[in-house]
Amino acid sequence: MLFVAGVILIVVAMVIAAANSHKPSPDDVARAEAFSQQQFARCMQGRFLASKEPPPDFATLEEFCRVAAAPAPAANMRLSDLALVTEHTGTFTILLGVAIAASLGGADWTAGTMTTLLTWEPRRIRVLLTRALVVVVVVSAVTIVLQALLIGAFGVGVALRGTSLGTPPDEVRHAFEAAFRISAVAAAFGLVALAIATVGRSTVAALGVLFGYLVLFEGVIAGFRPSIQDRLLVRAGSVIVGQQPIYDMSGETSFVTGVSQQPILLGIHEAWVVLAFYVLALVGLALLVFRARDVN
Amino acid sequence: MGVIEIEGLRKEFRRLRGGRTVAVAGLDLEVPEGGVFGFLGPNGAGKTTTIRCLLGLVRPDSGDVRLLGTDVTRGLPHVIGKVGSIVEQPALFPRFSGRRNLEILGRIDGRGAREIDMVLQRVGLMERAKDLVKTYSLGMKQRLGIAAALLKDPSVLVLDEPANGLDPAGIVEVRELIRSLGDEGRTVFVSSHILSEVQQTADRVAILARGRLIKAGPVHEVLAAGRARGMLVRVSDPDAGVRALAAADLDATIDGGVLRVDVQPADGERVSRALVAADLYPSELRADEVDLETVFLELTKDEGLAP
Repeated sequence: MLFVAGVILIVVAMVIAAANSHKPSPDDVARAEAFSQQQFARCMQGRFLASKEPPPDFATLEEFCRVAAAPAPAANMRLSDLALVTEHTGTFTILLGVAIAASLGGADWTAGTMTTLLTWEPRRIRVLLTRALVVVVVVSAVTIVLQALLIGAFGVGVALRGTSLGTPPDEVRHAFEAAFRISAVAAAFGLVALAIATVGRSTVAALGVLFGYLVLFEGVIAGFRPSIQDRLLVRAGSVIVGQQPIYDMSGETSFVTGVSQQPILLGIHEAWVVLAFYVLALVGLALLVFRARDVN
Repeated sequence: MGVIEIEGLRKEFRRLRGGRTVAVAGLDLEVPEGGVFGFLGPNGAGKTTTIRCLLGLVRPDSGDVRLLGTDVTRGLPHVIGKVGSIVEQPALFPRFSGRRNLEILGRIDGRGAREIDMVLQRVGLMERAKDLVKTYSLGMKQRLGIAAALLKDPSVLVLDEPANGLDPAGIVEVRELIRSLGDEGRTVFVSSHILSEVQQTADRVAILARGRLIKAGPVHEVLAAGRARGMLVRVSDPDAGVRALAAADLDATIDGGVLRVDVQPADGERVSRALVAADLYPSELRADEVDLETVFLELTKDEGLAP
């Protein structure tokens, strides 16, 4: 049902986006290309950067300028936004994964079928680990399929009512990389939801506790004490999805190839470690509780 | 060696507002192989807790529980494949069909379509197998639960209140099914508080009250523990009947317009003769049989459970 809701949401969103977009006219395209050429020339003169050295992610200045000065004709649906659109829908995709996992984790408790299940397979650790595997597979599969549908639907929208002018050649690959990162984070958040559903023995408990913690607790903590953002689950997820570290704004500024940079508070690799820690700690706790508690 | 052996089983539950409730207080029980074993007791006697301990759902505070010779706390996974069970209401996925529910369970133990067809046939649910469980009556859900328990082709069946909520026809169906399972040589351990049902089904019974075993043994032995009731006689003039029986050295009392005569049913002829001699012809003469309910109430009277 959640999958069907996701498909409907994608279709509706793409119809609205397409209705609000239009194919650029030949004049618009010509203007955009002329402007792009001017910008490219300025960029190659080093006027986009403090020095003529390319930024860290680019091998040459030309490579950087091709991206920075790509033509951008007036249209709401541009293929060059594909990876960005995928990343920005990541929150909904991850929440969908959480809802699926909480349902999978809480269904047996809500229906009372856990008793039946344990009279067939009394090895509780095996039962919970199997469920964890199911959560990872189902959440990953559902979120990947939905994001592939989103990417496909966006492509159709672009073909009918948008433009692919100025799209980097590896944009689709970047979009799918983002989709895989989002699915991985969704599966990890799903395991957290499964763990809470197992401890709380209910889908509602899992959703309530998780959303309460993520939205209220982490949000409030991060607001009051920004320095501990490197230990929070949501921040770790957002760093992984966006591939953008969180910088320590209170630290000393350094200059790398003429670009000022704050020290990194939570890097991409550290974000994976934080995420893994939460998953392992909560699944471990769920295993202990599930093994020890009576099933009445 | 019994199929089920319980020694000194004790289980307490913490109350939310402090204190503890003793659900099972040092229970000893042995269930022999084959036949139907009735596990009786009023609500709250500890039947379901005992069953949950037996199936590894609840951890005992102390005591030993062995199933098919295996210690449940350590070796349950080795024997669970031979044990089918229903604990309280059979819990099934309401949005799946009966067949789908059995398929899901069957996959755990490698049971296929042939076994599922067999158990559906056996419990009479073949025609409704494709319908969603939420459309089933309580009796059908109960039968589906029994089908799920039978899917493993178990040598031991543990059924907790299988006739709960069933209509009279459903009760008869379940009773016949349980009896036939016992006759096949399986051990059916069935808990119930519907004593008349157990009396008609079980070979042996155990009576539990306040978490303790009150009485256990073959049904006829447990019934014999109840005090003898003599015979019931209906005559047109009960007072004259009492006098006629007293003249023949037979004690009788009037109970609701019927004579209750303190005599063994085998001596019924003496009663007839005494009454006929006084020109009183009995319109009804029958043994005042002791049933399990009566015995149960007598045995649990000291526990403060009988009304």
